[in-house]
Amino acid sequence: MTDRVADIWGARTPYGSGSQWPVRVDQYVEDGVPEDEVEWSQSACVLCSNGCGMDVGVHGGRIVGVRGRADDRANHGRLGPKGLFGWQANNSPDRLTQPLVRRRGKLRPASWDEAMALVVDRTREVMDSRGPLGMGFYDTGQLFLEDYYTLSVIVRAGIGTPHLDGNTRLCTATADFALKETFGTDGDPGSMTDFDVCDTIFAIGHNIAETHTVLWMRILDRLRGPDRPRLVVVDPRRTKVAQEADVHLPIRSGTNLALLNGIQHELLAGGWIDEEFTERHTIGLSKLEQTVKEYPPERVAEICGVPAGDIREAAHVIGTGRRLVSTCLQGVYQSHQATASACQVNNINLLRGMVGKPGCTVFQMNGQPTAQNTRETGANGDLAGMRNWQNPEHVRELARIWNVDDIQIPSWAPPTHVMQMFRYAEEGSIRFLWIVGTNPAVSLPELHRIRSILKQKRLFVVVSDAFLTETAQLADVVLPTAIWGEKAGTYTNHDRTVHLSEKAVEPPGEARPDMDIFLDYARRLELTDKDGAPLLKWRTPEECFEAFKQMTRGRPCDYSGLSYGKLRGGSGIPWPCNDEAPDGTERLYTDHRFNTDGDYCEDYGHDLLTGAAYESKDHAAMGPAGRAVLKAADYLPPHEPPGEEYPFLLNTGRSVYHWHTRTKTGRARQLDAAAPDVWVEISPADAQRLGIVEGDLVRVESPRGRIEAKVRVSGVRDGVVFVPFHYGHWDPGEAEPDGRPRAANELTITDWDPVSKQPVFKTAAVRVEKLADGGGAPSPAPTTAGAEPLSVTGPATAGGEGVTETARGGTS
Amino acid sequence: MKVDKAIDDVQKAEADLAKELRRLGERHAVEQDLYHLGLTLAKQCADHVERLAPFAERYGTSQPKVDDSPGLLDTLRHASARMVGRSEIVGVLLLRDLRNLYLGAQEAEIAWVILAQAAQAARDRDLLDLTATCQEAAETRGKWLRTRIKVTAPQVLVSG
Repeated sequence: MTDRVADIWGARTPYGSGSQWPVRVDQYVEDGVPEDEVEWSQSACVLCSNGCGMDVGVHGGRIVGVRGRADDRANHGRLGPKGLFGWQANNSPDRLTQPLVRRRGKLRPASWDEAMALVVDRTREVMDSRGPLGMGFYDTGQLFLEDYYTLSVIVRAGIGTPHLDGNTRLCTATADFALKETFGTDGDPGSMTDFDVCDTIFAIGHNIAETHTVLWMRILDRLRGPDRPRLVVVDPRRTKVAQEADVHLPIRSGTNLALLNGIQHELLAGGWIDEEFTERHTIGLSKLEQTVKEYPPERVAEICGVPAGDIREAAHVIGTGRRLVSTCLQGVYQSHQATASACQVNNINLLRGMVGKPGCTVFQMNGQPTAQNTRETGANGDLAGMRNWQNPEHVRELARIWNVDDIQIPSWAPPTHVMQMFRYAEEGSIRFLWIVGTNPAVSLPELHRIRSILKQKRLFVVVSDAFLTETAQLADVVLPTAIWGEKAGTYTNHDRTVHLSEKAVEPPGEARPDMDIFLDYARRLELTDKDGAPLLKWRTPEECFEAFKQMTRGRPCDYSGLSYGKLRGGSGIPWPCNDEAPDGTERLYTDHRFNTDGDYCEDYGHDLLTGAAYESKDHAAMGPAGRAVLKAADYLPPHEPPGEEYPFLLNTGRSVYHWHTRTKTGRARQLDAAAPDVWVEISPADAQRLGIVEGDLVRVESPRGRIEAKVRVSGVRDGVVFVPFHYGHWDPGEAEPDGRPRAANELTITDWDPVSKQPVFKTAAVRVEKLADGGGAPSPAPTTAGAEPLSVTGPATAGGEGVTETARGGTS
Repeated sequence: MKVDKAIDDVQKAEADLAKELRRLGERHAVEQDLYHLGLTLAKQCADHVERLAPFAERYGTSQPKVDDSPGLLDTLRHASARMVGRSEIVGVLLLRDLRNLYLGAQEAEIAWVILAQAAQAARDRDLLDLTATCQEAAETRGKWLRTRIKVTAPQVLVSG
């Protein structure tokens, strides 16, 4: 038995390049449940984008535990702490079990019929008075493919509004856009097996150890194996990943682009370029050369605040590796010049000729478990099937598939991103907003503004959720939803692996699957196709999947060869899966022909500085014709540099024990206890300067708001403070918000990347002020992972007992 | 030779555009992308004027000054933008301002085209190189505004 709160990654099973990652089956079953009476139901974890295959244990009609699936390519049996313990939220007494409707200012229980009639009446009213542009829909990265696709068809073909986005805008919009800019379409080119054979890993802005715990187990097993890969890490915090690095560059927040230009400068200067590859398979090299020649290591060192020698050393490691895997995440996506920087990560692998070969790839990583599906179904603002909204033939094709007039599909401009949608709601041109499975009242930037928008009387807010979140408390109608384990469906991880999740138990009370709610909405609205038949032709998740897969035929995310039957048993299967590749596709672009043809690509590209959308004629003039595009951009200083009044740079991020705004993980006792309250990380030098020690209460204040939190003196860079973004105005067992200012987003700035429209969460200027002495008691921060204290101050974080790890094979 | 005239036109157009970008950013400060990009691009205009300075000297024309900090009026605009940000009228104003700004961006771009032609005929390679870079940037500004206008127009004109 292991304590997997204390020992986050479990026991090592080292392995060498090219050999199979050994199996280790992790299992956690509630105390007192007779194990031989547990029935297991196939699924996959929904607490990050790694997509670990797992079985759900059921006893007496309720979920009692989970175990990893040994055969699954994503995890070989392993699970992380959130996966092992997070399912307990399903059984929480806080679950919403009946619809709520606001009457005389208060949310009161109502029947489904009453609630849906109200939603439909308001929809009709807004549609009649303002048309489809008065309607907005904001979903999540947590539903299943079938929920998303149903919503996408309703919104695009039925209602006909461009105002549909997902909270994936906050998480992986930049991954999506960087892939489209460089390779022509979305979809990570590589496979997680590339980590098994690589000899060099470049991780920028990606705290793998906490965001993707099981992938980190895989990497740790390589790092402890016979031919350890070299590791270059860029992160302002001294994370576990940074501690393992050969070269760690703790750069100033907001300077990724300068650093990446500097590394490319060195790759060119060192002659570490695959000239044949770049000549035959890329365009844009001369412009890139011209741009990065202005970024010698000395200049970059000054901008980024790290030694020039370390930049040279990093470039040397990256430049001399033979099999390079690069990976990035929110440190790039949620920072300044996000898409421009993410494109440079793609460039590095292209310059090295290291894409589409075993051990050679770039990962524009995802965060949420089903983020990839929002991008495939179009529930995030893309066009369904990775089609191009500027390509009339793509729009006509969708119209044929959906049997609607093509003018019904709103394709006159890029689909509306969430920040713009909230702006429309603020000015009053959106009057109906349906928020599905996400909590913008905690997760969007500059919260006082978001709350005031949601509270407007003229805006009708519908929230579908499993819990009464901070956002649901502001709604006019709340619809209780069935979640993972309580409905069937599919989802896809960051290496394109599709998993089936079976329905294991009944949802509580009257809670319903999101797809069923949407189907009911479409039926009540009498949405029809152009022949007058119902717009949606499916009733079950499996029927929806069949419709979806036909829609993807011939597109990059081709699901046409998949079925629920095929996904049952064994491992998940990576798309494309079709007649040519019936067993799925390990890695894309093995022939180094990319998806940049004008009639196939998902996007014509953008100017990285302004976000100007290129049109078909611009794309034709660029003429990539199957070659990858090396995009270049100059570094610009962040929009809110620290100064005299606000001298610190705020960095927000996650803890290994929590997910988003804790709606689930806060209700799993082990995870809640491991990280029960907000904290702020500060460097020892800064702490000393401000006369602050571990556990002191401070106020962190930006021009927009303030929070109060206890201090953890940690290995964060001088001049940077880190605040986890999980904590809203809610604690387990409390029904009402307590009003304590502790949400990181009280501080953040309303600003977004010009291309991906991803909000900037990583560069805001703040000041820190001591409020009260901690009296020697440590802050509530965990003592593990990135929040590790520099000196021991209290009991070590623990409390995840009862997990079994069963290793098979390997050399452990 | 009247190359000085073409340089003068470019500098004026860029200086005017910088002013308009700042004004738009402040007037519509609640449109955060316009605010931030407005400032970034106004700086780019100032940079263009500065890079033309040696040529202005060479061909004998005076250099206009590009104001780099917001004046009192701009600050007032910023404050009032926040106050009226909850009204739908701002949409109509926004569309009008974007349209005017687009025309200003077009004017600056064609001024660069004219100067590039002059530089070519005058066999001034340095000036020609500069016009190539700046004209591309000028063109991109137009594309950005085009994209933004395409997004804004339907919401302003059809919703409500």
